[in-house]
Amino acid sequence: MAVDFYHPGTSRLHSFDARAKLILLVPAVACFFLPVPFWTQLPALAGFGLLIIFSLGVSELWKPLRAIGPVLILICVLTPPFTRNGVPLLSISGFPLVTSTGLQATLSTVTRFAGITLAFVAVFRSMEPEHLALALQWFGAPYTMALTFMLALRYIPSLGATWRNVQDAHKLRVAPRAPLGREPPGRPRSARALPARSPTRWRDSLPVLTSVLIQAVKGIPALAVALECRGFGRRAPRTSLLALKTGKGFAGDLIVCLIAAILLVAPPFLLRL
Amino acid sequence: MRRNELVVSPALRVSTLAILAAVTTVFTIFIRIPSPARGYFNLGDVAVAFTAFTFGPVSALIAGGVGTALADLVGSYVQWAPISLVVHGLEGLVIGLIARIRPDSAATCILAGAVGIIVMTVGYFAGGLLLTGMGPSLAEAPGNLVQAAAGVIIGLPLSIAVAKAYPPVRRYSW
Repeated sequence: MAVDFYHPGTSRLHSFDARAKLILLVPAVACFFLPVPFWTQLPALAGFGLLIIFSLGVSELWKPLRAIGPVLILICVLTPPFTRNGVPLLSISGFPLVTSTGLQATLSTVTRFAGITLAFVAVFRSMEPEHLALALQWFGAPYTMALTFMLALRYIPSLGATWRNVQDAHKLRVAPRAPLGREPPGRPRSARALPARSPTRWRDSLPVLTSVLIQAVKGIPALAVALECRGFGRRAPRTSLLALKTGKGFAGDLIVCLIAAILLVAPPFLLRL
Repeated sequence: MRRNELVVSPALRVSTLAILAAVTTVFTIFIRIPSPARGYFNLGDVAVAFTAFTFGPVSALIAGGVGTALADLVGSYVQWAPISLVVHGLEGLVIGLIARIRPDSAATCILAGAVGIIVMTVGYFAGGLLLTGMGPSLAEAPGNLVQAAAGVIIGLPLSIAVAKAYPPVRRYSW
């Protein structure tokens, strides 16, 4: 399972500094909230679309548009009823369904949502996660926050694999309808192998979720030890699970060693004399 | 090493937050039910509630917010990432703070869950109001309410089950 929000490329957008892209994201989003006619925002919308096409490809433009398609339809359907002042454009039995103001509000909201979506896509799809973490640090975020973000990103695939393994293991625990050797005669083998009733989905999910969470939690101390071995958090002297003797115990051992050393080294010289 | 030294270890805190954030992302990504306005229903709220009840408010604030934002970044819903970061982070913080008052009390946990549900629903309504307007935000509010409620209803028993099956999990809360 590939988990990343970065779409590789060699365009100018990709090489643009991550901090600059994040700074530019603010006015890029803000421009769609300005109290101006929607058609004045269409060039910005088109610009982001073209930027995505030339930097990331047509497929990267199509994916977010397909994702927000239902939302745009919902905006078109539900916005006019909430904005019924202005000149009625469509009425049923005297009840205005769509007015000029409602149509403008709908088009403005559609432009805004699509524009913000494309702005975010252009920025984050062309930014490597590591650059995002570095940029956040540059803006003042603590190193621990950036490290947490990067570690989380790296752990997602392994947790996803754990999820699938646990799911498969629990599926194998579903009992067959009848014990082997006691199958009713004449029934096809495939029917005998299936459970009589599929378990309730949520009830079967709880053991899977519990197992996945326990597996995840068990990884916490291992990761912490790995970080500490790399010197993370060393503002104070590194701690140790074990400790050697100190004080009188250590002095006593030192004296014994000194005496032993003298007894080992001195006699040959004394014997030569 | 004494218990308090174990808990305040920066490495342990970072590890806990990173893994819980990854868990939240996996819960959000792997199980998705398409929804017209919000994008999708998911089990992210289950992970946020579980983190809040098990690991405390700070872990839930960071892991819940970062995890769901990461899921939005990875998916095709990048524009929702800042809103998810704030709303789910607050949801986890509120649940964790209230549940911590009396962790063994069922009434406190239920109150914590209820407040968390309200925070999540109102937060996404406010965020949706900015992005999509009044109509779609109102239409999506019941779905968000159901998703948040399901998160608390599943997250609390999950917290109890995990603590029972793996008691050392309590050492990682602060």
